[in-house]
Amino acid sequence: MKRILYLVQKEFRQILRQKIYLSLIFVMPFIQIVVMGFAITTDVKNITVAVVDHDYSFMSRRFIDAFTQTGYFDLKSIGRSIKEAENAMQQGDVKLIIQIPFDFEKNVKNGKQPQLQVIVDGVDGNTAGIVLAYTNQITAMLQREWGSEINAEPADLRLVDVETRMVYNPMLDSVYNITPGILAVMLMVVTSFLTGMSIVREKEIGTLEQLMVTPVKKIEMILGKTIPILIVGFLLFNVGMLGIGFIFGLWIKGNLFTLYLMVVFYCFSTLGLGIFASTLAKTQQQAMFIAWFFMIFAILLSGFFIPVENMPDFVQVITLLNPVRFFMVVIREIYLKGTEIRYLWEEGLAMLILGLITFTSASMNFHKRIT
Amino acid sequence: MTKTNDMNPVVIKNLKKSYENIEAVNGVSFEVYPEEIFGLIGPDGAGKTTLMRILVSLIDSDEGDVFFKGKSVKENVKFVRSKIGYMPQRFSLYPDLTVNENLRFFGDLFKVPAEEQADRMRKLYEFSKLEPFRNRRADALSGGMKQKLALSSMLMHQPEVIVLDEPTFGVDPVSRSEFWDILKKLRDNGTSILVSTAYMDEAGLCDRVALMFGGKILAQGKPGQLLKNFEESLYLIETDRVYETFKKLENLKIFSEFNLFGDGIHIVDNENRGEQEIIHLLNKNSVDYKSVVSIEACLEDLFLKLIPESDD
Repeated sequence: MKRILYLVQKEFRQILRQKIYLSLIFVMPFIQIVVMGFAITTDVKNITVAVVDHDYSFMSRRFIDAFTQTGYFDLKSIGRSIKEAENAMQQGDVKLIIQIPFDFEKNVKNGKQPQLQVIVDGVDGNTAGIVLAYTNQITAMLQREWGSEINAEPADLRLVDVETRMVYNPMLDSVYNITPGILAVMLMVVTSFLTGMSIVREKEIGTLEQLMVTPVKKIEMILGKTIPILIVGFLLFNVGMLGIGFIFGLWIKGNLFTLYLMVVFYCFSTLGLGIFASTLAKTQQQAMFIAWFFMIFAILLSGFFIPVENMPDFVQVITLLNPVRFFMVVIREIYLKGTEIRYLWEEGLAMLILGLITFTSASMNFHKRIT
Repeated sequence: MTKTNDMNPVVIKNLKKSYENIEAVNGVSFEVYPEEIFGLIGPDGAGKTTLMRILVSLIDSDEGDVFFKGKSVKENVKFVRSKIGYMPQRFSLYPDLTVNENLRFFGDLFKVPAEEQADRMRKLYEFSKLEPFRNRRADALSGGMKQKLALSSMLMHQPEVIVLDEPTFGVDPVSRSEFWDILKKLRDNGTSILVSTAYMDEAGLCDRVALMFGGKILAQGKPGQLLKNFEESLYLIETDRVYETFKKLENLKIFSEFNLFGDGIHIVDNENRGEQEIIHLLNKNSVDYKSVVSIEACLEDLFLKLIPESDD
């Protein structure tokens, strides 16, 4: 067991001598969090609108104002020709067309419920959905506003107002959702790449062959490689948390040590992936490719961008094999809601089991032999 | 599993190993005696590396037995790995660790106690002359120094048997001869050494050699003894335009065996013609040459003579 200490010591000497590692630990998390935190946003803003107003009444103008006042919409044109508006959409100049019919005001006042036409550019489905939701909210608001002027039966008036209010992330700010996710992804990328590459590097320079012909045990070699990288990953994770706190003012709500424990469970799989890649690869490039191949799936099927619930059933089943999926839940829960460990043990257990399977099977594939 | 009573440090019996359809090692037998330098001489692809890797337990053989200090390597992997010293082909140390750290690291891995390590490092520095560079990173050393460091690292646990795979590959001549001086000192202090090389001139520095080609051993014995097997007379043709002369001889087909060397063309006189007749033949066919001299065969001549015979 003392040998593990010697191996870890050697590994740290090497890490500290390469400036790239230090910048990896301390600079990369900041850059990623800043750039991705600001750039990856699911908030929809500046939606370009063309209004086709056939009514030109007080109410139709009030309707248009209601849109522009929200700040989400960018009014490009008001006209009478639907053709022109459609051309603008075709060319990508506007994302939304609102057509207000003749006698809009008159019909509203008579309680005849005029039909508004809303055309949304559906190329980006996500955005389209959000735009529709905004539009519905605005029309609902105007209905309430004009309620007193409407000569309608009382039954048509809404008795209960539904007002949606989000908990944990009241502004539905995507930064809150994205940044802990970045930590999860970064932790995986760094720990599996570093593991894979540092083992394969020894293959390339020939030291692995030399190490094999020593009494060092397989498990000692593996732990000697993975422990330093786990520590590096841990440092990086903490630097990342500080980054999120200072830049976005988002600090962890839950228990830090619960999160640390989960990080260790999670890293079993990511380190295992690195070992696995190293057993297949002969060069560092190959190791990167192999690790990357699995990472793409792991990231896309993790719920980082697309909620797992939105995926087809069979894909949802596949995600049960993905440790990132569980860690994504855990880190967001602990970060945003302060969820206690007793509600997260299932995810923790899943990560631990997946991790142990990956780690041990990858280690079994690692031979103190030349194949 | 056959038992061997022979306590020679390395005993290899009818060893075979093939990769897909290439027979890397094809029925090799030899022994390394205590306190000698045994050289495996042969070109790249002769099977030297495969053979050594089997000996140090890195790969399994298909057939045959390998014994290390009287124990079967296959069944005593741990024993082999803790007692043998192995230096793989090319430079195989940590380039970003210093000379001192590399030595310490390997000493630590073999669990050599600290005081003993200090003592051993002093001795290793003495003959490797690496002491002044102890805090220099390994990648900043010259090729010759790197090899000496690699050798020193694998001597930290004082193995009685060391296996070196082309240790002088790509090293300058001065460093090479220094390296061989170290090997001789080690042998004189009781180490048994198995070393491979593609340099024929290094064969003469070994106590015994095996000439290896195409996975087989063509001949083995003391270098001087082996040359006695070369019974034919050998003539050196010196010429200014070696390559053209060689081409011409190839076209003429008047000699059955001749090879291109650095100093000229070596003609093996299989037909017992003698110097005069050879000169006569050359003149008759107007071959361009400066002189014809009778010479002693070297190992390379022997090697080239044996290669065609190994094909059957």
